[in-house]
Amino acid sequence: MALLETAGLSKSFGGVPVLAGLDFAAAAGEVHALVGANGAGKSTFLNIVSGSIAPTAGSIRLGGEVVRFANPQQAQRAGVSIVHQEFALAPLLDVATNIFLGREPRNRLGLVDRARMRRDAAALLARHGFRLDPGALVAGLSVAEQQLVEIARALSFEARVLILDEPTAALSPPEQQRLFAVIDRLKAAGVAILYVSHRLDEVFRIADRVTILRNGVRVDTRPTAGLDHAGLVRLMLGETAGPTASVARCAAAGPVRLAATYRAGEATSEIVLRAGEIVGLAGFVGAGRTHLARALAGHARPHEIEMMVDGVPVAPRSPAAAMRQGLVYLTEDRKRDGLFVPLGVLVNTTAGALDRVARLGVISRAAERRLGGGMLARLRLAAPGLGAPIDHLSGGNQQKAVFARALLAEPKVLICDEPTRGVDVGAKAQIHDLLLALAEGGLAVLVVSSEFGELLALADRILVMRDRAVIRTFRRGEVDEEMLFRAASGDPAVCAGRP
Amino acid sequence: MSRPDEIAAPTPAAAAPVGVAASRRLRSFPETLAIWLVLVVLLVVAGALSEAFLRPVYLGNIIRQAAPIGIAAVGVTFVMILGGVDLSIGATISLGAVLCAAAMNGDPANIAPAVALACLAAGAIGALNGILIAVTGVSPFILTLGTAITLYGVTQLVTGGTAHGIIAPGFREVFNVRIGGILPTLGLAFLVVAAAGATVQHVTTFGRRLYLIGSNPAAARLAGLPVRRTVILAYTLSGLLGGLGGIALLARSGVSGSLAASGYEFDVLAAVVLGGTTFEGGRGGIGGTVAGVLILFVAFNLVNVIGLNYHAQLVVKGAVIIVASAIYRRLRDAGSS
Repeated sequence: MALLETAGLSKSFGGVPVLAGLDFAAAAGEVHALVGANGAGKSTFLNIVSGSIAPTAGSIRLGGEVVRFANPQQAQRAGVSIVHQEFALAPLLDVATNIFLGREPRNRLGLVDRARMRRDAAALLARHGFRLDPGALVAGLSVAEQQLVEIARALSFEARVLILDEPTAALSPPEQQRLFAVIDRLKAAGVAILYVSHRLDEVFRIADRVTILRNGVRVDTRPTAGLDHAGLVRLMLGETAGPTASVARCAAAGPVRLAATYRAGEATSEIVLRAGEIVGLAGFVGAGRTHLARALAGHARPHEIEMMVDGVPVAPRSPAAAMRQGLVYLTEDRKRDGLFVPLGVLVNTTAGALDRVARLGVISRAAERRLGGGMLARLRLAAPGLGAPIDHLSGGNQQKAVFARALLAEPKVLICDEPTRGVDVGAKAQIHDLLLALAEGGLAVLVVSSEFGELLALADRILVMRDRAVIRTFRRGEVDEEMLFRAASGDPAVCAGRP
Repeated sequence: MSRPDEIAAPTPAAAAPVGVAASRRLRSFPETLAIWLVLVVLLVVAGALSEAFLRPVYLGNIIRQAAPIGIAAVGVTFVMILGGVDLSIGATISLGAVLCAAAMNGDPANIAPAVALACLAAGAIGALNGILIAVTGVSPFILTLGTAITLYGVTQLVTGGTAHGIIAPGFREVFNVRIGGILPTLGLAFLVVAAAGATVQHVTTFGRRLYLIGSNPAAARLAGLPVRRTVILAYTLSGLLGGLGGIALLARSGVSGSLAASGYEFDVLAAVVLGGTTFEGGRGGIGGTVAGVLILFVAFNLVNVIGLNYHAQLVVKGAVIIVASAIYRRLRDAGSS
């Protein structure tokens, strides 16, 4: 009998359905994987089941009874706990306090009974075989140990359903194995585990059944035993168009602009970018794409990376130093480190190029308008004026301003991290055209993207990353979305052929 | 895709209004205007309560009186646009006054070297603040608090706790000449420093970078801005202008008690915050600060005229910081929604 069951679960945001009539069932003592491409509705489903958001329609049954969660606390009390990819721990408190945060045992005076809290925590950790000291400070724990604290906290609610969202994204391979052992024990203890991961090899390793979502709809639920990696990817992606009709472009790649050796843990990756070439960097959450992209642009720790630009060894120690070598990075998170809010569009655009429009430290407004305004016009920025506050523009126009700033740095190598994130369809096409035109003009372009379709449309070569290493390189035309997905999700049949 | 509001290649005609909009935004124009309105309203109220506030000579006096704080506030405004703070400004003003008086020692021939020495020492202290903040990443609040305490201690040790040095004849007189019989030279010096500061803020790459770094330090670093250099320069200017503020204090009061400017950091911060430069950085400017300084001193004088004492001034100061910060916060939230 199903422990957790949903019937006709639906959710719309602003009239747009993201989950449509989902019927789902997970049994006690089962590891049930949930897979789907970006936008399939996994997160929405998890958020509904764990009480963070309310469904538009449909019902949830837990142990046969209909339940309705107004908030995550109610779900926890009912026995449904979620461990998010991002931990929510208090680093300066100890393990026991973190486990019982907000519901500490009290003594007769109403004060926190620390001794009892330690005892309870120790008992809980022992029961599940977690080797953790309840008195240890969370800040001093490894990522894997912190995750165990999160899981212990989730289990302390007597969880019957434990949801793990991308639990291995930040773990090293041996730590992943230990996590799987923990999952096996919990499974034996009768906990239903919902396992969400892009790493399909893991799904085959630990899941009993797998539910496939696509565009908010359940495609199928199947035992993993009767499936293979390629078959699962096909179910996730549906009918793909085959190799994407690539933009007709003579990829006359020029001389090597950037050659880099990147080391992370045991793995070493070689990255070569040629003038006139667009190279894609594919991979899932936690694969280390952004880390690599930033390492190329002056964010590397010593010994992490060795680089040559135009045949000359360089070792930039800051973004400014990297820019002087012609290596320019475009952030994936405009709000965090891309935009200067609430300053104007032009001020945002010329931020890094002021020396080009100033004499003896005095800015020529006319020269600034010519340089910045000219570049923005070239990128077809739509704004009420060059003085409009940057945060009043659409995502696409904000991105164009950030692009314009990068181009004013006169890059040899442009490293774009998710260049079309949060951008409308029209602006997206314009940005794609721009990237193609820049490559045409002799720039070496590296595009990091979670959208495989985008990489297939743009890139001359695609590097696939997993566990902080490039595990495979594909050339234009020899790969389709399914193949990329299989490589990034760890299908041994595809990854065996190392780059 | 061609939309009517797309930016066309800039032509002089099309570019002009856009440029005005750009600089207006940078100065957060409406807030600056609001603070000048407050000053005007306050003067009208003061004039109604006492006819003294209608006399140009009295107003000239207020500007003269405000000069030490006002000059120092210009430098602190730079630091606060950057997202920093300089709590050592009071100690720096004191040091400037004490050093200048001691070096002058009653001899008119020593005036120039004494002024140079005070400026140099104060600038060096500011540079040290800047270097430590830029290199170690210590919070400016903690670091400049440490500098302030250290400086007060050093000043006490050096002077033995008593006033030292004698003002050279002619030093005070130069600053107290009234131009046109109204504005004392010292008041003019404040206005000149403020105008110079506003110019630096508006036209230089340094001024622009203050706003950029203050509004998003992470983006500034990623965009390759010379963050450290800008931070060090801003604190150096804050120190240097603090030293000039100390010299102005000496010219105004003629005595150099070893704690001459203790507590002035609060006046300076009150004026800057009142002028619309917030602790979060990235907004405000010198124009607002000048208005903030003048409001503060008109208010102090009003408190005196009404017959309340110095302690009531403290209450006014505290209230100013709290109320102004709250109002700007609300304005900002309203603006961003």
